[in-house]
Amino acid sequence: MIYIFFIIWLTIGASAFLARSRRTIHMLCATYLTAHAMFAGLLIGGKYLSTSGSFFSFDEAGTLFYLLLVVVAIFIFIHSEAYLKRDDIGNYRRYFALLMLLTTAITGVYFANNIAVTWILLETTTLCGAGILYYRRSEAAIEATWKYLFVCSTGIAIAYLGILLLCAAASNSSLNYEDLQMLIINGNPLYLKAAFLLVLTGYSCKMEIFPLYTIGVDANFAAPAPASALLSTGLVNAGFLAIFRVYKLFAHTPLMAWVQNVMLIIGIVSLVVGALFLRRTNNYKRFLSYSTVENMGIVAIGLGIGGVGVWAAVFHVICHSFIKSSLFLHIAIVRQVYDGYRINRIGDYININKVGAIGLIVGMVAILAFPPSPLFISELMIMSEALASGAWWIIAIMVVLLCIVIFTVCHRFIKLCYQPNQDELHLSNIDRKLSYSAITLLLAALVLGLWQPEILTNIIDKIVTF
Amino acid sequence: MLLSLIILYVITLIYISIVERFRNYASIIAVQGWILLGIALLRLHSLDWLELSFIITETLIFKAVIVPAILMRVIKNTHINRVATTGSSQFNSLMLSIAALTVSALLTYCVADQTINMVFFGVALYALLTGLILIVLRSRIFTHMVGFLVIENGVFLFSMAIGVEMPILINAAILLDILISVLMLGMFMTRVDKHIHTDDSDSLTHVKD
Repeated sequence: MIYIFFIIWLTIGASAFLARSRRTIHMLCATYLTAHAMFAGLLIGGKYLSTSGSFFSFDEAGTLFYLLLVVVAIFIFIHSEAYLKRDDIGNYRRYFALLMLLTTAITGVYFANNIAVTWILLETTTLCGAGILYYRRSEAAIEATWKYLFVCSTGIAIAYLGILLLCAAASNSSLNYEDLQMLIINGNPLYLKAAFLLVLTGYSCKMEIFPLYTIGVDANFAAPAPASALLSTGLVNAGFLAIFRVYKLFAHTPLMAWVQNVMLIIGIVSLVVGALFLRRTNNYKRFLSYSTVENMGIVAIGLGIGGVGVWAAVFHVICHSFIKSSLFLHIAIVRQVYDGYRINRIGDYININKVGAIGLIVGMVAILAFPPSPLFISELMIMSEALASGAWWIIAIMVVLLCIVIFTVCHRFIKLCYQPNQDELHLSNIDRKLSYSAITLLLAALVLGLWQPEILTNIIDKIVTF
Repeated sequence: MLLSLIILYVITLIYISIVERFRNYASIIAVQGWILLGIALLRLHSLDWLELSFIITETLIFKAVIVPAILMRVIKNTHINRVATTGSSQFNSLMLSIAALTVSALLTYCVADQTINMVFFGVALYALLTGLILIVLRSRIFTHMVGFLVIENGVFLFSMAIGVEMPILINAAILLDILISVLMLGMFMTRVDKHIHTDDSDSLTHVKD
């Protein structure tokens, strides 16, 4: 059944390459999103088998992240239309076609129940993502696209080596996650350790954590801002889920403690990098990307601590998707006004677009995990679990780094709203309806901060049950 | 015979770390393609004929012919035929390559057991290290691309060690080859060189903080 939907999505995406008018592209996008909404409806209604074909299954993790992707994608498509409306039709259709193909590939990653299929689809996201990065065709865009292709491909090749080792350790022909979980229990520990390290290194370029986090930052910098919202949420979540599924494989092996230590180290280094580079950059899009690195570092720490930390990590990823996509969409509107992202030059946004500025300030509160932000809950849970396990040093490191993050983020966002502007303004480009729509995503996050529906907590409970 | 081909493959890896002319890089990648073809024929003969013919065709056409041809065309178009003079010397490169070979052999010895063919594992590891050394130590984008191709060939070799039981893994590796290499080589040839007018990775510094 899922194959029928894949064919529909791919056909619509490919058709967009041939579209001759914006109206046709809009209709294709609407049809594409309707098809996704229908599929999401089937999943929610439970009128769907838990497995489709031999390579895809609809478990709680895949379904939850897919629903999140559909919601975020609707906003991204709407904002993209407004963001690129002055661009020529050739670029315009290529962008939307690639956006649809990227969304389809991400969907495949969420539902893949086979480690090789996950890997293939992640590689496909590299190809679609590279096309989107190349949108502006400037020297910076070419450079970013080249680096993205090169680093992601090398990373994915390294991950493939890890998958080969994992399969060798399992000594079996099945590459299904469930089968692998059973089979690696008695696998050679050295192979398994090497396999985990290689897969983690390779997929880190998608999840935007140490060591290959830089490429995600460059990608967000080069891509049009609404597409960056997809790269920083949907694609990052795909990387998280790919790593999380491998992490779960080790749950019943004697190596789990070692795996958690690795995640802890990766998480702390990512948090350090994110916190320090937030201060260094002079570009709002790179700034938000380093914020993603920092947040994914916290997620990795949650996985490293284990226990309630894993629950908090999954919850953190979900809420981060709402907040970060909203912030990127707000920054897309900022770019329309100033025609740039330079932190030291643009300002006075509160008097130019009050709704947008309020959205940014609320987003700042949410991303910094101040109550009622849902991230406050997840970070508190991670810290309390760290305290319970006696790892007070993790709390100390996190508190110091989060203080740096709080200072930097407040400083940058307040500068954007209140410092005197030094750049030329394009006031006719302001569309307050877009600011309102971006705020909707933030409100969804804040609702989750105040009230976590039972259905959501039950689903996360199932996701973290190994 | 299989062992002879693998030894020949190791020799190409040592050689690739000391050459300085781009034309030699392209030739070595072509030779590696032919060696991989021989190894695939010897190693995977027990596979279903359809799968085997797909793998053989891909290795022959893609690895042994198309990729080297594209590399040669890049050399012809860019008119640059040597690695940057600021790179490490041939002697240092040779020492580094031998060190990588020693590390690979030691690691292989440490992890030796029955589940993986250790010769394949060791050589694949050496290929991975050689590719990484080329990427890190050389400054030209062309050499980086060759480094990536060396890593990819190493991964393909390793997939053949396990792929007798799991052909899907080899097919996945082939997919990696076709999709990425063509895109990267194509992009390098048609976009990077044309727009940035350089082959030196030091010039790729527009995207930074």
